[in-house]
Amino acid sequence: MKNRLRVLRAEQDWSQADLAERLEVSRQSVNAIETGKFDPSLPLAFKLARLFETTIEAIFSDEN
Amino acid sequence: MGLMTCKTNNPAARRFTIRFVVVMMLFAAFSVLSTVGLLLWHPSWWLIWLLAILPALPIGMAVVLTAQYIAEEKDDFQRAMLVQALLGGVGAILVLTTAWGFLENYAHFRRLDLLMVWPLYVIFVGISYGLVKARYR
Repeated sequence: MKNRLRVLRAEQDWSQADLAERLEVSRQSVNAIETGKFDPSLPLAFKLARLFETTIEAIFSDEN
Repeated sequence: MGLMTCKTNNPAARRFTIRFVVVMMLFAAFSVLSTVGLLLWHPSWWLIWLLAILPALPIGMAVVLTAQYIAEEKDDFQRAMLVQALLGGVGAILVLTTAWGFLENYAHFRRLDLLMVWPLYVIFVGISYGLVKARYR
């Protein structure tokens, strides 16, 4: 699944570790999601959307 | 299994690591006790069973602890990596013991000590965890 996480994170000037801390997950988790190697669960996707004050669809797209 | 999660400030992983180390210390202590008891005490049949089962109990506890950790871990990715590593460990030990069984029965290979199954499984899970981690790097 494609996502705009890296862009959104850069806009906030957060490192992967900063985002991981806010999400209460490991930095590796953030990296795996950003690189599209791991799809987050729905609760984590909602958490991301709330954190960036946007919608899940604005962060993730199911295009290949 | 516990050592894979020790470098973390994740409370569930920290709890699991501490409990796992304690259980493995019990395994070591019970293994020594059972070995001494079975070899030197000339135990009665019920004590033989008790001494044989004793070191296996911490292994059961380790499996329960792992299930508990998987239920408690809030980080989906960490959970997914551990589950993949455990599956890798189970697969490797099943493949090894099955293949070795054929070698023992039909190719006169030396007997694989069944007491090696648990340590080998833990080693395989560790290797598998490293491979899974490398895959996501």
